[in-house]
Amino acid sequence: MSGLVRRRCDEREPVVITGLAAVSPLGSTVDTILDRLFAGVSGVREIEIDPRARTDARFAAPVTEIPRPAGIEPEEFARLDRLEQLCLSPVAGALADAGIDRSPAGPRIGLVLGLGAEQLKVWELDFLAAGTAVFESRRDPTIVHRLAARTGITGPAVTAAAACASSGYALALARAWIDAGWVDACVAGGCDILSPTSIAAFYNLRALSRRADDPTKASRPFDRDRDGFVMGEGGACFVLERRSAAVARGARIRGELAGVGMSSDGVHMVTPSTDPAQAARAIAAALADAGVSPGDLDYVNAHAAGTPVGDVAEAGAIRLACGEAADAIPVSSTKSMTGHLVSGAAAFEALACLGAIERQAVPPTVNLDEPDPACPLLHVPHRARPHRVAVAASNSFGFGGSNLCLVLRAA
Amino acid sequence: MNHQSSSRPAAPAGCRVAGHGLVECRASALGDLRSRAAPAGAPAIPNRFLRHADEHTVVGLHAVLAALAAGPSQPDLSRHAVVAAPCQSGRLAAARTLAQLPAGGAVTVSPHVVPQCSLHSVAGAVSVALGMHGPHLGVGGGPDALAEGLLAATTLLLHGDPECTAAWLVATDWDEEPALDPVGNPQGDPVCRALAVQLVAAGDATDDGTPSHGPGLVVQPSARQESRPRLHDPAGGIVAFARALAICHAGTTLAPWAVDCPWGVIRLVARPPSHGVREAA
Repeated sequence: MSGLVRRRCDEREPVVITGLAAVSPLGSTVDTILDRLFAGVSGVREIEIDPRARTDARFAAPVTEIPRPAGIEPEEFARLDRLEQLCLSPVAGALADAGIDRSPAGPRIGLVLGLGAEQLKVWELDFLAAGTAVFESRRDPTIVHRLAARTGITGPAVTAAAACASSGYALALARAWIDAGWVDACVAGGCDILSPTSIAAFYNLRALSRRADDPTKASRPFDRDRDGFVMGEGGACFVLERRSAAVARGARIRGELAGVGMSSDGVHMVTPSTDPAQAARAIAAALADAGVSPGDLDYVNAHAAGTPVGDVAEAGAIRLACGEAADAIPVSSTKSMTGHLVSGAAAFEALACLGAIERQAVPPTVNLDEPDPACPLLHVPHRARPHRVAVAASNSFGFGGSNLCLVLRAA
Repeated sequence: MNHQSSSRPAAPAGCRVAGHGLVECRASALGDLRSRAAPAGAPAIPNRFLRHADEHTVVGLHAVLAALAAGPSQPDLSRHAVVAAPCQSGRLAAARTLAQLPAGGAVTVSPHVVPQCSLHSVAGAVSVALGMHGPHLGVGGGPDALAEGLLAATTLLLHGDPECTAAWLVATDWDEEPALDPVGNPQGDPVCRALAVQLVAAGDATDDGTPSHGPGLVVQPSARQESRPRLHDPAGGIVAFARALAICHAGTTLAPWAVDCPWGVIRLVARPPSHGVREAA
C-alpha cells in the first residue's frame, strides 16, 4: 500500500514539542502563566462589555497584554484586529522559541490554527468599529493564511474548528502531517477572544455562570455549586517536529505529543451525551495511540468548564476509559483559573500538562470547595500538589459532540 | 544543519472516492429544503433538525443525503468521520445578529448562533443527524476552504481515528458571495451549493497513491519548500470538482482536475481499465 499508512505507536517516530508560546488571562509568558497556574491564581475579573450589548454577564477572564512579536512594527501590530493579534503573538512566539530555520533551505513548516468562530468575531470587531464587512460581497483570506504569509510559512495552512476542541484538533492534524512526512515541522494551536455577541450567545444558552458576587469564585468546575462557565480569551501555540530532527538541530525538547484520540457523540448539537461511551472512546484511543495504559497516566487536565451537565459527563467518561485506575489519577480543571478559552482551550491545557511534567506537580482546581458526588474523581482542590508526572492527558469536548483527548509525555 | 537531509520523503497519499452528492439551492428555496425529509434511499433525519441551522448546513447535510441515496446500499455510518469546508458560513446569521445588537442588546442574540452558525456547525450537524461517531471537524472558512477540506479529510481518514472507515468532505459555498441588506437578508436570489464526497482508504493503491479502481484523491506534498500561487475560486472549484467526479464515476471521459497549493498538489485521479494512471476530468 502506498502513501499514508497509520503507524502503530511502537513504529512511529515520536513527535515532540520544541517551541511554545501562550497569551492568556494569567499572563503572556510561559513561565509567568505556569507560576500563576500552579499558585492557584484566578484570571477572572469583572469586565466592561460594549454598552451596545447591554448584557447581564459581568465576569470574564480577559488577556491584558498581547506581546508584539519581534520584527513587527508597533503601528503595524496595532492595525491588526484583536483576534489576529492574539493569534500572531503565540505563532511568532512559538517559532522564535523553537529557533527553527525559516529560510528557503530550511524545513517545510505547516500551520494549523484552531479558530472556531473566526469570521463571526472578525465581522463583529469590524461592525463594532463602524465597519460594514459582514454585509459586503467579499471574501478575505482567513487569519491562518495571513499569518503564514507574515511568518514565512509555506507549508500547508489550515483553520480547524471543532468548537471548544478546535486547538486540540489543530495539534492532531499537525502531528499527522509530520508523521506522514508531509511537513518537517508544524506550528499548531489556537486562540480565541471575548466578544459581546459570543458572551451574549453563551449567556442566552444558559451556559455561563450567573454568579455576580466575587469574580474569582465564579468558575467552579466539579464543585457542587457550579452553575456554568466563565468565558476567557487567549490560547497557546506549539512547534512540533520529529524527535530526530529536533535532536539533530540541538533543539530544546519540551515534551512529546504522544497520543491523540478523537470521536463524536453523534447525539446533539449543543449538549454532551449522557452516555459517556464516545468520550471514553476518545480517551482510550489517545492512550492506545501513545502506547500507555490508564495506570500509566499521572495527571488528567479535564475539559470541565463548570457546567452542571458537562462535568458529570466527563467524569463518567474518565471513569469508563480508565476503570479502577481512575481512583489514583489526579484530575484538575485549570478553567477554574483561566475561564474557558473556547477555541484556545485545548492547546492552553496541553501547555498546562507540559507544565505539570516540567514542574512535577499537578495544578489545582480552585473554588472546588465541595466536590460534586456525581463527579467521583481524584480531585486536586485549591492548591497544586507535588506529584510525579511523566504522562498527562488533556480532554476537550465541544458543541456537536466533538470529543478529543491528547496525551503528552516527558521528553 | 541541512534540513533537506532530515526530511522524510513526501510520499503521496491516496484514497478512493466511494460516492458523492451535489445540492444547489437558491436562497428563496432554502426554507423548503430546511424542512424537507431525506430522499428515498437515504437515512431519515430527525424532524425539524435543521430549523436553527445555517444555510451552509442545510445544503451540506442534504448533499450527504443525496450521496447516500445514490449509493448502491446503505453503509454503516457509525465509524464515519466528517470534514466540512464551508466558505464564510454563518454570515447571514452574523449580519442579522449584529444588525439587531445596537437596538435590542444582548437579549436579541440567538443562543443558536455559536453552535449552529459557526465553522464547526456543518460537520457537527452531519455527524449528529446521521449518528456518525468518527471525528468531525470544520476547516477553512475562507476562499481556500476546498483545498483545506480535501487535505484535512484525507488526513483524518488515513491518519486520524484508526477505527474510521470513511471520511466525508462536505464543501459548501454561495455561487457568488451575496451582498446583504441592512437587516442581513441576501440581495438577489443567490445559489447556495454543497458537494459531499465520501472517501475511503485505498488499501490497494499503487505507489503514486492511485486506487486500483474508481476515482481517487491523491495528496502530493512537495519534497521541499516551494512558493507557488494559490488558487482562489472555491465556487468554481466545487462545480468543477463535482463535474469531474461525475465524469469519473461514469467511467467515460478523462481530463485533469487538481488543486494546486503552495505546498503541493491535490489531484483527482482514475485508473481506466487495463491502462496506466490518468488524471480525471
